[in-house]
Amino acid sequence: MARVTPGSIEEAQALLAEGGRRVLFVGGGTALPPGPPVDLEISSEKLDRVIEYEPADQVVMVECGMRLATLQRELAKHGQRLALDPPQPDKATLGGIVAANSFGPLRTRFGSVRDLIIGVSVVRADGTRAKGGGKVVKTVAGFDLPKLMCGSWGTLAFIATVTFRVHPLPEEAVTLCARGGDPLELVRRVRAQQLEPAAMLAISQAKGWDVYLRFEGFAAGVRAQRDKLRDLEESAWPDPAPAGARVRFGALPTHAAQVAKALAPLGARLEWLPTLGLGFASRATVDPAALQGARRELAALGGWLAADGDWGPAPGSLGLQRSVKQRLDPAGVLAPGRFLV
Amino acid sequence: MKQETPGATHLELKQQGQPLPDPLIKRFAAAVGAAYCYSRPEQLRTYESDGLASFRATPGVVVLPASTEEVVACVKLAREAGLPIVARGSGTGLSGGALPIPGCVLIGLSRMRKILEVDYDNAFMRVQPGVINLDVSKHIGPQGWYYAPDPSSQSVCTIGGNVAENSGGAHCLKYGFTVNHTLGVRVVLYDGNVVDLGGAVADAPGYDLAGVVVGSEGLLGIVTEVVLRILRKPEATRTFFATFPSTTEAGNAVSAIIASGIVPAAIEMMDTLAIVAAKAATGVDWPEVGAALLMDVDGVAQECEHTSAVAVEMARKAGALEVRVPRDAAERELMWKGRKSAFAAVGRIARNYLVQDGVIPRSKIAQVLQEIAGLGQRYGLRVANVFHAGDGNLHPLVLFDGRDPEEERKAEEMSGEILRICLRHGGSITGEHGVGADKAAYMPEMFSSQDLDTMQLVRCAFDPAGTFNPGKMFPTPRLCGDKPGLYRPHPSEVSGEAWRA
Repeated sequence: MARVTPGSIEEAQALLAEGGRRVLFVGGGTALPPGPPVDLEISSEKLDRVIEYEPADQVVMVECGMRLATLQRELAKHGQRLALDPPQPDKATLGGIVAANSFGPLRTRFGSVRDLIIGVSVVRADGTRAKGGGKVVKTVAGFDLPKLMCGSWGTLAFIATVTFRVHPLPEEAVTLCARGGDPLELVRRVRAQQLEPAAMLAISQAKGWDVYLRFEGFAAGVRAQRDKLRDLEESAWPDPAPAGARVRFGALPTHAAQVAKALAPLGARLEWLPTLGLGFASRATVDPAALQGARRELAALGGWLAADGDWGPAPGSLGLQRSVKQRLDPAGVLAPGRFLV
Repeated sequence: MKQETPGATHLELKQQGQPLPDPLIKRFAAAVGAAYCYSRPEQLRTYESDGLASFRATPGVVVLPASTEEVVACVKLAREAGLPIVARGSGTGLSGGALPIPGCVLIGLSRMRKILEVDYDNAFMRVQPGVINLDVSKHIGPQGWYYAPDPSSQSVCTIGGNVAENSGGAHCLKYGFTVNHTLGVRVVLYDGNVVDLGGAVADAPGYDLAGVVVGSEGLLGIVTEVVLRILRKPEATRTFFATFPSTTEAGNAVSAIIASGIVPAAIEMMDTLAIVAAKAATGVDWPEVGAALLMDVDGVAQECEHTSAVAVEMARKAGALEVRVPRDAAERELMWKGRKSAFAAVGRIARNYLVQDGVIPRSKIAQVLQEIAGLGQRYGLRVANVFHAGDGNLHPLVLFDGRDPEEERKAEEMSGEILRICLRHGGSITGEHGVGADKAAYMPEMFSSQDLDTMQLVRCAFDPAGTFNPGKMFPTPRLCGDKPGLYRPHPSEVSGEAWRA
């Protein structure tokens, strides 16, 4: 297996155009699923430039290998940020974040990659360079290739450049914590009081959850919201889970309690985004039998669970998913065996 | 797109297909019920065009199914007969997305208007595609919830049409477009198979095909159910209306407001002609100045007080002549009515007009408006501007008299030139109206043939037979068997940093 670190997108394009090799695209390696051997790894390490940044337009276009933390430093100079906070920002690259649909608690307010991406350029399996979307925050011309790339795990094309909408940095932020709280009850309360947290995150404890809320924005609004939840203590935002096996899962937000019960046998720390019904279970190692059991219970609730390239049962749309893969990568050389398609 | 006040224009395009054989019509009638299958010429005429009224074509048959199963039956019948299929909601689209292909099977979704499920705790709603956009918010409004995308046609347009076009609206600056509020879709594919893409549970493994279907303009399948994200209403909304000597000062005000870190719910701009038209149509008492801004901020009350005060200050600093704050909800509603009826209102000051829908980076608004004014002078045509300033989505309305074919030709040409200005500034040929039949010819000016080939591959993955809405969006129809050649860069591209436009 060869590993190549192209110095330009054209070089990456030339490598793919040669054809006949099974290829894996590697960014920061923070979310790369395991899979069968490939012939060539293409690293995005040297593709780390900001191509265009116009603060007044709140739009930035970057190469895929740029690290999230590096971009955030660049944006912060102009009082802006990309409203995405997946784990390991020092390592995670923007191409990888798009490919893996990575996210953190800010998704509560700002949505996921798909809600922030406005344009993409890709190199297809045969070396063809193509783009979709645009450089303006609003465009509906053509099919939405940027969304197709979100969560495609490097199986459809090499994501070469990405254009994002960025947001102003908040003037002030405060974190509150409800220890031993019920995530669903807190969500109801937030909605009843018309509060608008930027982030909500529940972390499993021996008994129940600790639920964190972060309010961000102009000071007047942040303070007003803090005052409406006087019974909650101010707190630091919780530390991220230590690196290790990271299991993702999803279910309806109202199923928080059942989800916690289903995942209890994993003995892992659970993070749960209570407005979205998405979570992570983190542990050094995960017992496969416990994982399968948890998956069965989640599936019975209409939810799903994915771990380390094991995506669980095929969805009803698998035929259509395969058809998309087949059209864009007919020889099946991109990230073989890494995704359910 | 072209709007007409009564009186025919000369360049009207009308295509007639062959009538379908009776036995086939009978089979369609059996599938949906005879009362909902139209084949007589006077019935078909109603469906000859959508909001792009200057393009007309006669469908072979119009069917109005009441369920996913009936849609499946119609798709299968059309496939057997080798007929193209065009889906239609309320027909308010402005790019000809629901324009029939001559002799096609036109599937109208207007009878599928049930709200199937509302789940506040999980913040979603499941609806059929014929539900009217505004009825979604009306249904959940009493509980304090709403559906964010608000196209100006929201009192008549359908959710299915919104999904097809990825509709926006004034308030998508802060809240996003239809795609950001569509959690899942049920789609009938070309072969009659039904798939659920996405859904109320987020991020289930698989490609984001729901994200691809939204905005696909009816080319990938027929959506028969939609899971929408619904939002709790914000605690407060603050609106103000500010007037300026010209669009330059108004454009600068928009830039300053955004630069201050405020994300307004909406900022709309109107120039003199648009103001005059809105006054004539709705009776708002706006002064006839060079430009006006209508702005909403919403959210937590204290934050709104702060941001609206800052925004008013910014508007004044940028040269506002006057800032008005509505006294009550009724006055606020009237202000927004003035804005939302502006397109139609222009019909009061011109016999005919073309509505354009280009996008530019918002920092270029003042410059681009001057360029458009220059074009107007060169062509000797009036241009009214009423648009979403916050996201740079321009809607120049080119005014003309359709009785003069030369003037009409000039208007068409000038409207196209406006798109080229948008593209030169790094923008887009459409921000919310779609490509459809109207702008397919402009796609190669925004996208390379490799870009378009890649989109065609996606189309072929969904619909290898090219059954749905053929001829829309893409300038050159391609059969899915055709292999697009491997792209070879031009030497000038290899040598420089430059990439394809």
